[in-house]
Amino acid sequence: MDFVALAGAITQILTPWPFLMMFTGTALGIIVGAIPGLTGAMLIALTLPLTFYMEPFNAVVLLVAMYVGAISGGLITATLMRMPGTPAAVMTTFDGYPMARSGRPGRALGLGITASFVGGLIAWCVLFTVTKPLSVLATRFGPFEYFTLIMMAMVLIASVSEGSLVKGLISGLLGMLVSMPGVDPATGMPRLTFDWYMLNGGLQLLPVLIGTFAVSQIIKDSLDTGALPERAEMSSKGMLMSIRDFIRHGTNLIRSSFIGTFIGVLPGIGASIGSVVAYTVSKNVSSEPEKFGKGSEEGIVASEAANNATVGGALIPLIAMGIPGSVIDAILIGALTIHSIQPGPTLFLTNADIVWAMIATALMANILMWLLMTSSVKYLSNLIYLPRSFVLPVVMMFCVIGSYALNNTMFDVWVMLMFGVIGFLLERARIPLGPFVIGFVLAPLAEEKLRSGLMMTAGDISPIFTRPFPLAFSIIAVALLVWPMISEYRQRRRSM
Amino acid sequence: MDQRSYTEIGVAALVILICAVVLVQANDLPPGTFEPLGSGPVPIYTSLIIILCCVIVIMRAIKVLIQSSEPLRAFQMEFSTGLPIGGILMLGITIAYVSLLHFQVASFGFVTFLFLAILIWSMERFNHRKILPALAIAAVFSFGAEYIFTNVFVVDLPT
Repeated sequence: MDFVALAGAITQILTPWPFLMMFTGTALGIIVGAIPGLTGAMLIALTLPLTFYMEPFNAVVLLVAMYVGAISGGLITATLMRMPGTPAAVMTTFDGYPMARSGRPGRALGLGITASFVGGLIAWCVLFTVTKPLSVLATRFGPFEYFTLIMMAMVLIASVSEGSLVKGLISGLLGMLVSMPGVDPATGMPRLTFDWYMLNGGLQLLPVLIGTFAVSQIIKDSLDTGALPERAEMSSKGMLMSIRDFIRHGTNLIRSSFIGTFIGVLPGIGASIGSVVAYTVSKNVSSEPEKFGKGSEEGIVASEAANNATVGGALIPLIAMGIPGSVIDAILIGALTIHSIQPGPTLFLTNADIVWAMIATALMANILMWLLMTSSVKYLSNLIYLPRSFVLPVVMMFCVIGSYALNNTMFDVWVMLMFGVIGFLLERARIPLGPFVIGFVLAPLAEEKLRSGLMMTAGDISPIFTRPFPLAFSIIAVALLVWPMISEYRQRRRSM
Repeated sequence: MDQRSYTEIGVAALVILICAVVLVQANDLPPGTFEPLGSGPVPIYTSLIIILCCVIVIMRAIKVLIQSSEPLRAFQMEFSTGLPIGGILMLGITIAYVSLLHFQVASFGFVTFLFLAILIWSMERFNHRKILPALAIAAVFSFGAEYIFTNVFVVDLPT
């Protein structure tokens, strides 16, 4: 294993400028994660323009640190106010809030913070050991292997997104469609530009991202700027876990962390599903399932260990294959592209320093997150009282600056606003936004691979059915499509 | 669980319309000359699958409405949550702000100051006690952002 490369990256992160980036990223991530309505995806999308002029190493350190911080910060308001700061912390509200209300807020927060830390650490071990062998395997992939892998990923994202499979498919395919206007790279011909020269360069990732995730969220939040729920009294008592606690919750910690890591690896499935699955499994195997939902320590540990573990897990397909494991990973792919770094299996060969920066930051930011949250959770809990009527307009101003800064053109700002409205409407119709962004990021790669594959075989599509990997990916994709229909049919028959 | 059948029908119809426009444009693309696929088929098939999925969503939503005993009440329930004026204000004032920046009416700092002050105050429902905090926040963030982005981050701003 590459301990030398890892040590080199850690040493570099500990130099003043990268360390400042990591500290700022983790702290900002925790703060934004703790404020309901502001999300990690929103923060990272808005920070992207600031990284244009940074060294790629520093930019990656900043963004990955934000990712780690944002997933963790959500547990503060979830525990003290039953308002998850991030969707990933929803399961924590079930047990964190009752425990906090029963006079043990420090204990609830301490369990959550340490479980987050352990979850992140276990996922990091998997990230460190698995990523390089996986990327070596992925270098053997041809165009058809890549095309079918992306298609399988898209179906997977659609099938496990909140809402129905059909809505997930609409979202993913719409994202793919939106990525298609512009000059076709294969033929050099303008496509879907409606004879409008501004569209020749296509729709850029940054305005689409900021619009879909930040502006739509701002519009949604501005519909409800009402009173906040009652907060549990804050006390730091019982914040640190003892060795006895570790022994008591050890199995749950390890199990939930591995569940979170595995779910993180699956493309497009975020921390929310990781924590739901880990919580459910933990409840099913618990000797005290009746305590779940009433302030169970096991519930908090399972939810928080799993949602933080998805961060490390989701970085595995991103680094090894250039496939985003979550929405934030899709934004990270955009960040790499902006810095002229091509994500994919050759990343270890072409930009090893960047890969190790990501892996090392995932570890270091996790440690920093634990230190920061343990020491400052008392003060962070006051963030909830920031009035939305003051916060939302300022965030909107940053959205405008962020979109404009990409190409110094107001066209991108209008694109951002348009996608803000589209994102808002899609969410109102319960069409998930995650598949949309991942479709937008992956479609150009999928089309390029399909077309280059067909050029190699003179239009013959049979390699999809004759080569082992494309065949396996296709079978999985079809099974994922068909299984929900069979399941629904069986349920209907049973209920008749 | 609250139903959003009317929203689903409306949004699915809008998506169908977008896909239909794309379909018409993509049909006019010439076939590939040196590569088998050409530019057209991928957007065409993508649009067709989206349209099919949207039709399924519309049919399911209509089925739910038919099964519900009071479709009119369902409509009222669907659109009575939240405070629409907040969203309308946010979107309307932002569009006005972006238009002012687009037509370069004044400097970024000044236009942003106006945008923030008006939006914050209006979101506070024009409470006269909030005028001063709104002006202070607007001044700090607009002129502060202009200074920091231009001089520290060296990022161009719309002027």
